[in-house]
Amino acid sequence: MTTKSKPSILVVDDEQMVVTSITAFLEVDGEFEVFGFTDPEQALRFVESQPVDVVLSDYRMPGMNGLQLLRRIKELRPETSRLLLTSHADARSAIDAINQVALFQYLEKPWDDEQLLLSIRSGAERARLLRELRERVGELDSAHHVIKDAQSRLIHAFL
Amino acid sequence: MIEASAELHQMASLGRLSVAIAHEINSPIGSVLSNNGVLRRSLERLKELVARRESAALDQAAQVIDTCRQLADIDRVACERVRNLIRGMKTFARLDDGEARLTDINKELEETVSLAGCQFRHGITCNLQLSELPKVAAHPQLLNQVFLNLLVNSAQAIGSQGEITVRTELEPDQIHIAFRDTGSGMTPEQKARVFQQGFTTKAPGEGSGLGLAMSREIIEDQHRGSLTFESEAGVGTTFHVRLPLTKEHSA
Repeated sequence: MTTKSKPSILVVDDEQMVVTSITAFLEVDGEFEVFGFTDPEQALRFVESQPVDVVLSDYRMPGMNGLQLLRRIKELRPETSRLLLTSHADARSAIDAINQVALFQYLEKPWDDEQLLLSIRSGAERARLLRELRERVGELDSAHHVIKDAQSRLIHAFL
Repeated sequence: MIEASAELHQMASLGRLSVAIAHEINSPIGSVLSNNGVLRRSLERLKELVARRESAALDQAAQVIDTCRQLADIDRVACERVRNLIRGMKTFARLDDGEARLTDINKELEETVSLAGCQFRHGITCNLQLSELPKVAAHPQLLNQVFLNLLVNSAQAIGSQGEITVRTELEPDQIHIAFRDTGSGMTPEQKARVFQQGFTTKAPGEGSGLGLAMSREIIEDQHRGSLTFESEAGVGTTFHVRLPLTKEHSA
């Protein structure tokens, strides 16, 4: 592990048992920083306050379903990788989700821990690459400004 | 005709119920399986930490133990949920020998509510207010079908958030069971057609429109009771099931 901060993972399910089990699993090796929520509204407020690398959400929840939550998160933090954890009976909604919220991956309950870990890892990697790309593009932009500035000063000085 | 549609209705209910049960079992099984893996790894980790015999390692070990205890608690809750579901299914699937038998209505209601719970767990609470009742001669399997049907109707009328109250009461010569919901209620036009076969306000695939007609037949023809309701659009609906007391108990 490098000195870089751990990938941050948001787990949202209205069932406390699912949140606790997945949080314990993802934290057991200290690889991730995990934030668990049973209320999608609270999860959304959390994402407003700070960026996260991956969000794993249940589909059927009272108040706001997983699809609505992921759509809002996509607007707030487009670089966050979005994963949906559903029961098989929701498969059709999950397929809609893939198209509507550009889902990174869809997992079925009961979930397989190894599959879950692979998906979370690659979701975190994707988010990290997107963030780095944005930083590099930002650096290029500011370098571009510096060059333009130098150019206009040269023109002023010599022409 | 009624028999054929009854069978159709039962199959449609069973189909929906199986999906709901699969849904209900998914989360606890997922949790228990995942917890098992984490517990095994935690034990390995504890072994390493304890072997180090340093106070820092022992502090970490205490944290690992707390997590394990939390996961063990969850396993218990998860298994209890599956167990209750299976108990409810057993009640529902019990073979009816065609003879009425002395039935504890409160117990049947408790079990059906626990089984139906899997269809409306999200955002809908169900309160049971049960009074002490004598046993009555009844066909419990048929009654449970009626109870389940009324509960599922209430849950569908509520949608995402609301309350269902099931109350039992002993009246002079009958048992009164009320199913009250805080759902959408019915318009006068809908009220007039409630017991009509094939009438439904639900989306295709959600209801066959046979449930209430069937329920009334079960209560009125096979138990000599009554099934009535009151409803107000925007406020909710209450269904009343009344069953006559068996002779030795009635005043």
